[in-house]
Amino acid sequence: MCPQKRERILQTTRKIGDLIIEYFSKAWDSQAQNKPIAWITVFTPVELLRALDIYPVAPEHYGAMCSARGFILNYLEEAERRGYSQNLCSYSRCCLGYVLSGMNGIMPPPDFLVTFRNSCDVYVKWWQSLHRHLEVPLFVGEAPYVLTLEDLENYVLDYVIKQLEQLIGMAEEKFGLKFDMERLVNAVKLSDEASKLWLETLKLRKAKPCPLGGRDSASDIFPLVVMQGTEEAVKFYEELYGEVQEKVSRNEGIIENEKFRLLFDGIWPWHAFDLIKYFEDKGAVFVYEPYSEAWGYRLNPSKPLESIARKVLAMGLNIDIDLRIEKFLKHIKEFQIDGAVLFSNRSCKTWSAPQLVTAEVLNRKFEVPFLLFEADMADPRQYSEAQIKNRVDAFLEVLGEI
Amino acid sequence: MKLPRNIRSICETPTALLSEYNDSGIKVIGYTCSYVPEELILSAGLQPYRIPNIGANVSSLTPSFICPFASAILENILRLRDFFHGIVIAHTCDPMWRLYDILKKKIDVPLFFLRVPHDTQNELSISFLEMEFVRFKKFLEEKFRVKISGKALSNSIRLCNESRSLLKNIYLLNSDSKYKIDASIRFQLVLAGMWMPKLDFNEQVKALEFNSDEKHGNVRLHVNGTAIYDLNLISIMEEAGGFVASDDLCTGSRYFWSNVEKGSSLMSALAHRYASRTPCPSHGPLNHRLDYIKLMVRKFNVQGVVTLSGRFCDPILYDSVHIRNMLTEMDIPVAVIDYERPSQEINRIKTRIEAFIESIGD
Repeated sequence: MCPQKRERILQTTRKIGDLIIEYFSKAWDSQAQNKPIAWITVFTPVELLRALDIYPVAPEHYGAMCSARGFILNYLEEAERRGYSQNLCSYSRCCLGYVLSGMNGIMPPPDFLVTFRNSCDVYVKWWQSLHRHLEVPLFVGEAPYVLTLEDLENYVLDYVIKQLEQLIGMAEEKFGLKFDMERLVNAVKLSDEASKLWLETLKLRKAKPCPLGGRDSASDIFPLVVMQGTEEAVKFYEELYGEVQEKVSRNEGIIENEKFRLLFDGIWPWHAFDLIKYFEDKGAVFVYEPYSEAWGYRLNPSKPLESIARKVLAMGLNIDIDLRIEKFLKHIKEFQIDGAVLFSNRSCKTWSAPQLVTAEVLNRKFEVPFLLFEADMADPRQYSEAQIKNRVDAFLEVLGEI
Repeated sequence: MKLPRNIRSICETPTALLSEYNDSGIKVIGYTCSYVPEELILSAGLQPYRIPNIGANVSSLTPSFICPFASAILENILRLRDFFHGIVIAHTCDPMWRLYDILKKKIDVPLFFLRVPHDTQNELSISFLEMEFVRFKKFLEEKFRVKISGKALSNSIRLCNESRSLLKNIYLLNSDSKYKIDASIRFQLVLAGMWMPKLDFNEQVKALEFNSDEKHGNVRLHVNGTAIYDLNLISIMEEAGGFVASDDLCTGSRYFWSNVEKGSSLMSALAHRYASRTPCPSHGPLNHRLDYIKLMVRKFNVQGVVTLSGRFCDPILYDSVHIRNMLTEMDIPVAVIDYERPSQEINRIKTRIEAFIESIGD
């Protein structure tokens, strides 16, 4: 198959850039109106912040963006100069470097630091570090590891609900805000609608050929990272769903000659989108990623707080390994997956640490071949392009022989 | 002074003790972290055993950038699984969390994951930790078909309190400039306390006599980090003319500094003790940890601080920046010594320690 010059991207995906600019522009407007800006870790309940009229900004997203657009190195190097090891999460180094270099970028400075430990423990250390540098109020929530589905109903859920109430109390006290339940219900409704549309869109990837590729799924998560609970997010996913559905009805894939359907496990290496294109040029399309799916979580507007607490707890990485593997296996069948690409991400130790045992199960149950490559999601210095592409070639050759 | 031979030999080859337990029919619960309440294990008639990283290489099941300390513990658990009747992993940091995942797919031994809130010092977290201890108690009762009575728990709390107080009293001797208890001896005692039967350990410690004429270097150091089982890291500091007067290590003062006090119930008292103990680098609030280091530095007249940091240990790597900033303001010199496998890098570490101590001495 001939390499294509342009990336294969849906029309709706092309609108993400404008959405991001608008989102940051609104953040600065909020600041101008003296509304608090909260820096949050992703999977922190954005819906709750909307009900308090606090504007959420996610430095992880900023790190991904800086990496994808090629201007992350200055921030990484600044953090390293100030003592943060190169072995620490690159999102956190980017963010700390941004803070330590004077915050002269698109991300407005925070009035409030809010995190829930769910994806990783790094969140706690990172946010503690920000707190030391910025001296603004800090809220550290705990979403304990979900060992069984009962935890989404028992004292574990109760613990998270009570912490959400604490967060509300703290925001009211520190910033003189008034929590508005009606706003919360509305935000939960909109957030649920956006999640529903996203999850439905992802299901359309079961079609052969696959209508939405890795480049789309990597970008299209943005509204679910920080724009949950907004009408703009719902509108975006309605449009996306419509476009993908049309492609399915026309039997049109995101690539012309689909040969291999792949699973991608991990966060995307944002600085190396070219790698997705490299796969696609060889007839391999990514049809399922646990990462993309993790952003969609259905909420119940009639039980807003409980529902949000469950979402904080049940984000992809915070669920017991057996439950995660069960989901993996189900999707391998449903999405007719030929092979798995596992990204061993130096920055995301929680994701990478159990990958080998997960891969062993995949291989044992379905004989799904897998490729495991090591790099970093945001630090381009940890990416060895030629070596990885050689391994991709070998992997695809193996798939071709099966 | 010299330690009794059995304590020294336990510290040299701690796993030999596992065979002894096995031969005597004693059921052993291996655990990974000082947030695991030994009191509950003891009250179920079981022997707690802190799983070290020594004696094993990193596991081939983890990526190269995962903390080699956690990876070696994984390898030790897999290697020694037949000696354990149960394993408890506490949620300290990301690698330890994922160790549980890996073990769940790799061993058949009863496995328990203890969820320790990362911001431990608020009432909600303490209540949650108490619920986790209740779940742990139930796990022990169900898996080992025992009933943990209030009396048994009360006795084991008393035993552990005594053990911690003994260790703390020895430690406090160092705050007086007359006494200098060799740090290697102090650390060996702490480690032995995590491996030996408690009653036996307490009796042996009570019989120890300390004197004030020990020969040591003059540069008083504080060491911070996580868990140190390879005591060569401590010895080289003392051989280089330093004296490790205080520490905040998981295998040091953090293990014994506070006792279980009376509470509304035994389980509540237990939860309060573990939640309000000196936070480890993985837990917060960070200010409490920094305050503790400040307290140690002042109380033990420390002249320099050494941060021992595994190369991929996120909590230490973040904290080391703030520890350095705080101590620089206090005009206390700091050295951050990072390593992957200390036994293979000991000469490099030694050179750095020597230079650091020399610079303070000057």
